[in-house]
Order: sequence, then structure tokens, then C-alpha cells
Amino acid sequence: MPGSTVFTSIAPYIKVILDGLPETLLLTFGGFGIGLVVGPILAFMEIYGPKPLARLAAAIEEVIRGIPLLVLMFIIYFGLPELGIRLTPLPAAILAIGIRSLAYQSQIIRSAVISIPAGQWEAALSLGMSPVGAFINIIIPQAFRIAIPGLVNQFTVDLKDTSIAYAIGVAEIFTQAVHVAQVILDYLPPLLFVGLIYFVLTYTASSLASTLYRRLAIPGLGAGGVVTV
Amino acid sequence: MSDIVLRVEDLWKSFGKQTVLRGVTFTVKRGEVKVLMGPSGGGKSTLLRTINLLVRPDRGRIELEGIEVFPRPAMKINKIRERIGFVFQQFNLFMHLTALDNVRIGLIKVKKLPPEEATRRAIEALQMVGITEDLWHKYPAQLSGGQQQRVAIARAIAMKPSIILMDEPTSALDPELVGEVLKVIEELARRRTTMLIVTHELDFALEAADEIMIMDQGVIVERGTPDEILRNPKHERTRRFIERILRRQERLNTLK
Amino acid sequence: MVFEGLLIIFTKERYLDLFLEGLANTLILTASSFAIGFMLGLLIAVERLYGPRILRAALAAYVETIRGTPMLLQLFLLYYALPSAGIAMSALTAAILGMGFNSAAYQSEYLRASLRAVPSGQWEAALSLGMTKWQAIRSIILPIGLRSAIPALSNELVYLLKYSSIAYFLAVVELVYAGKIIGSETFAYLEMYTLIALVYLVFSLLITRSMKKIESKIMIPGLAVTAERT
Repeated sequence: MPGSTVFTSIAPYIKVILDGLPETLLLTFGGFGIGLVVGPILAFMEIYGPKPLARLAAAIEEVIRGIPLLVLMFIIYFGLPELGIRLTPLPAAILAIGIRSLAYQSQIIRSAVISIPAGQWEAALSLGMSPVGAFINIIIPQAFRIAIPGLVNQFTVDLKDTSIAYAIGVAEIFTQAVHVAQVILDYLPPLLFVGLIYFVLTYTASSLASTLYRRLAIPGLGAGGVVTV
Repeated sequence: MSDIVLRVEDLWKSFGKQTVLRGVTFTVKRGEVKVLMGPSGGGKSTLLRTINLLVRPDRGRIELEGIEVFPRPAMKINKIRERIGFVFQQFNLFMHLTALDNVRIGLIKVKKLPPEEATRRAIEALQMVGITEDLWHKYPAQLSGGQQQRVAIARAIAMKPSIILMDEPTSALDPELVGEVLKVIEELARRRTTMLIVTHELDFALEAADEIMIMDQGVIVERGTPDEILRNPKHERTRRFIERILRRQERLNTLK
Repeated sequence: MVFEGLLIIFTKERYLDLFLEGLANTLILTASSFAIGFMLGLLIAVERLYGPRILRAALAAYVETIRGTPMLLQLFLLYYALPSAGIAMSALTAAILGMGFNSAAYQSEYLRASLRAVPSGQWEAALSLGMTKWQAIRSIILPIGLRSAIPALSNELVYLLKYSSIAYFLAVVELVYAGKIIGSETFAYLEMYTLIALVYLVFSLLITRSMKKIESKIMIPGLAVTAERT
């Protein structure tokens, strides 16, 4: 079987590749986590903030979304030292992934909140809720459910793009796989193996997400036209 | 040549556990207008869709002008459908085409007519249903429901089919738009267009039908001329059904 | 900073040439991979909706494999792993093909969603007129579905513009690679990468704008936009 020969040749090196897993997960959860904290802030600024603030938030979002992750990473890792800010590869990569992620998460949250009918607001206020109370009790629970598929999609995008951190030498699984390839002078086995790891990780994330989505599902509350997962 | 255009024999159809057609038999002669009435969910829509094979029957036999349509189609299914006009409850005009192109597309793609010839015939059909020139280049979304349905009728008649099937052609229309569509269908009836029409419009049925069939729970429970059905229904169920329609129409009339 | 970056480019003719070569390759990568992705993606979408069952399963597996792994990995497989199987190609070709195959999977998903969202009544009406299945797909389903897919496809084009930077890893002289060379010789990394970021930004906006224009030109009243990329 070709499959078995492919993997016997890297059997001794599997541990080397798996050694990169903590870095990959740190990059993913760190980057996505930054987005999860800052993204909603940006989104709320855009929706509820005064006009100048809303414009600023929209501009930040648009600028970040127009720049490749690799360039963000290079600006942070190679460019910022010129301003006296020096980061080691791992934090630099996490920051880059986080900045990119927050711009997309902001958009996902924003469209989820906007998609909630105005009647929900009016009904909540008519009950005597304060705007903050209405937001927390009525808008957030609905918007969160709508945003789940989009957020999970972003999570898998962040996960796959951790491989780009290879560019600044973070020892995540892709970097490790390439190093193994250079040692055994054969790219195919390590690349296939690391591909399998990514696939299992993204697949697990998507499955968990659809379970969560179904668990939380409320009849009549859709995913707002977000196609993914 | 026989003057029977459509022959349906002992037609059955189930969806899962639900049997929608339970042995339906009837014929439509050339130039005849048959109206199919009955309570909703009685299988009328399914019956129409089995005739042009949008829905495949389970068993029975369908013949169009002596040609077997089901169970063993004597020609390609699309060739059979070409000869059966269909008018939908929801109009189903092609969303990306203007009124004129909606009528032309079948003539060009299916009948393979040269474009000018197709345009000429399309315009003829549009004029027949009273769609004026200012509407020819409008998209479906820019037309009222009544206008859309009239274009849909034009699309069907332009193909010069052997028979036209109409599935509740006015049910999706606002009440004030029903009249303009019924007028067109009545005109087609006067011209002896062979038609099988599912409708809830009793006045129209009494006026235009050569024969009315009442269908309930997958079987035709009653058939006869409008007079026979109205004055002398054989079944209690038919009588109640007609009374219900009459009451509804009275209410509508008093509202107007 | 951007201004300083521009100045550096103009200090040496070689820098300007490098920069322009980078820009040209970035645009070539973007346009060609989008075209490949569109043609393959449309094929995949149509076959997955209307094709034979076995083919549907195989294509679904392809799409899920591509979507479940990084694009960088896919490019490495094409460029570094295939030569051992006797298939070698230039870095630029490998990058274009890799990005194209990747985009095909994503584009097929957007197109499939758009085609599936065409109301079933359009099908029924087309078949009732006597059209064959493929006539109905060609003259009715595709013209409607493709129009509603434009916003998603426009996003995909911007996405490819940005991800063309991945070709840097194969040493294709695209914008980032050019910037890296100039930056390493002048030590003006910040200026160069900021300039390059701005170039990407400008082209992203240009693409978005022109796609909006195309959309409004061929959009038809009553057609809904169905697929949206996040």
C-alpha cells in the first residue's frame, strides 16, 4: 500500500511534527481570542457609536481586511523594531492573526446584530427595559446564535492560516513538517501527515460548532444567510 | 384521428405513506374546457403535475393524442412537455427575462424558431392576453401579479400546445386582479382552446367549463355539466363543497 | 511612511523594476487563479447538484479536503512534493494552479448555494416548456444563479489578491517578495511593508468597486443575492 510506505518513512519524525501542536493551538486560540474580545467592541462602535467613532471603526475594519496576513506579520515582526517595538516570533504571529481576525469577527457580529428586527428593540423598550437591559437580554442572545456559523468559520480560517507563521520561524506544525521534509529529503509524507492534522482539527471545530448550533437553535431564528461550516 | 387529446386511466400516486391519487380516470376532448374543483389537498395539483411528468405517477396510464406518456413514454419527456402548456399558481415567470423574452425563450430554445419569427409569435401571444407594448420589456418583478400571470399564459399559448393545464391560475392574486386573468382564460375558452383548469372560482367554472369534475381525497367524486353539478349534485359532499364556495363568494360580493 | 517607501523605490532603477515585477505577478496570480477557480468551481457546483451520484461524492470529498487544509500546504504539495512523482513546474505555475484549485473548492460552494437558491418554480416552468435538463440549467438556472453569486465571487477575488502573497513561500517575485528584497537591502522594512500594504488595500478597494459596478449593470429587479462570504 502506498499509504503505509508514505507514513513509515516519517514514523520516527511524527513526534517532531506533533511538537509543533502547542504553538499551532496557541496561535489559533490566541489570535481568535484577540478577535473575540476586540471584534465585538469594534462592531458595537460601528452600530451604536457616535458618527466619527463609527466611521473610525469601519475604516479600521476595512483597512485590515484589505491587507494580507503575511504582510501584517512582516510589518509587526520586521517593521515595528524600527519603532523600537521588538516581539519574538510567537507573540508577533499571534498579534497578526488576532488583528486580522478581529476585523472579520467585527463584521460577523455587526451583521448578526443588524439582522435582528427593529421590532425586538421596540418590544423590549416597551416592556420598560433600559436600552442596556434590552441589549443584554434581547439582542445579544439572538445575535450570538446567528453569529455562530460565521465565527466558527473564522476560527477555522485562523487555524489554517497559522501555517503562515512559518514565514517568521514559529515552530508550529507546518514549520516542523517542512523541517522534517528537508531532513528526509522527501516532502510528500510530512506534508500529507500535517495536512491530516489540519483536517482533523478543522473538522472537529466544525462538528462541535454544528452541535452547539443545533443545541442552541430556536425555531425561526436562522443563521442570517451566512453560508459556511 | 381521435378527438381525444388527453386520456388518463386509473392513475395512482403516493408520497410516502400518503396516497394522493387513488385511481383517477378521465379524458379531455379537443376544444373542450374541463374544470377540476375540490377541497385543498385533494390531489388536484399533483394530478396536473403527473400529466406533464413533473411528478411521476406510481401506476396507471396517460396518453396524449394517442401517444403513450406513461408508463412507457413513446417519445422524449421534453418532447411530450412541449405539447402540454402549463400555467402555474405562482406564475413562475423566468426572473431574469423580460416579459417578451419569457414568451420567446421556449420558441427559440425548444421550437428552434428563428429569432424574428419567435418575436412575432411572442408579440401575437402577448397581445392576445392584453399585455401592451409598454410592458414587453419589463422584468417580472416590475409587473403586477395579474400582468405576470397573463404573460405566463402567453408563454404557454405561444408554444401552440395540444392542451393547456392551469393550476389555480388566480389563487395567488390579490382579489382585484383576479378578473383580468379570468377574462383572458374565458377568451381562450371561447376560442375552443383545449384546457384542464384547477380553480376555486365557481362563477368562472359555471361560465366557461364544458364539464366540471369534483375531486376529493384522490378520487373524482362527481362530474357533469355545470348545470348538473350546481342543480343536482349526486353526493352530499359535493353539495356542501359548492355551498361553501357560494357562501364565500356572497361574502366577497357584499364586501365589494 | 508610505511616502518614504515610495522614495526608496525610486532610489534605484532595480528597486522600481522589482516592485513593478512584484505587482505584475501579484495581479497575474490573482486573475489567473480566479479564472481557473471559476471554471472548475462552476463545473464542480453543477455536477454536485445535477451530476451522477459517484461524481458528487468524489467532488464533495475534494471540496472538503481543500477547505480543511491550509492553502500554503497545498502550494507546497504542488511545488515541492510533486517533483518526486515526476511532475515539475515553475514556482509561478505551481502557485497559480494551487491557488486555482483552492479557489475552485470555495467558489463551487458559493455557486452551489446560489444555484440551489433559484426557486424550484423556475425549474418546473423551464421543464414544462419542453426544455431538456441541460437547456434548463444553461438558459434559466445559471443566468439567475450566477447573478446572485456576484457579491460572493467578488469577495473571493479580493481574498485571492491577498492570498497571492502566499506565493512568496515559493520564491515567486510577487509584491511581498519584492518588498522583502528591497527591505533587506535598505533596512527600511517598515516603509516597504507599509507601502505594500497600501497597494493591496488600493487594489482590494478597486476590485470591490468595479465588481459593484458590474453587479449593478447586470442585476435584474427582483433577483436576490443569496451567498455571502464572511
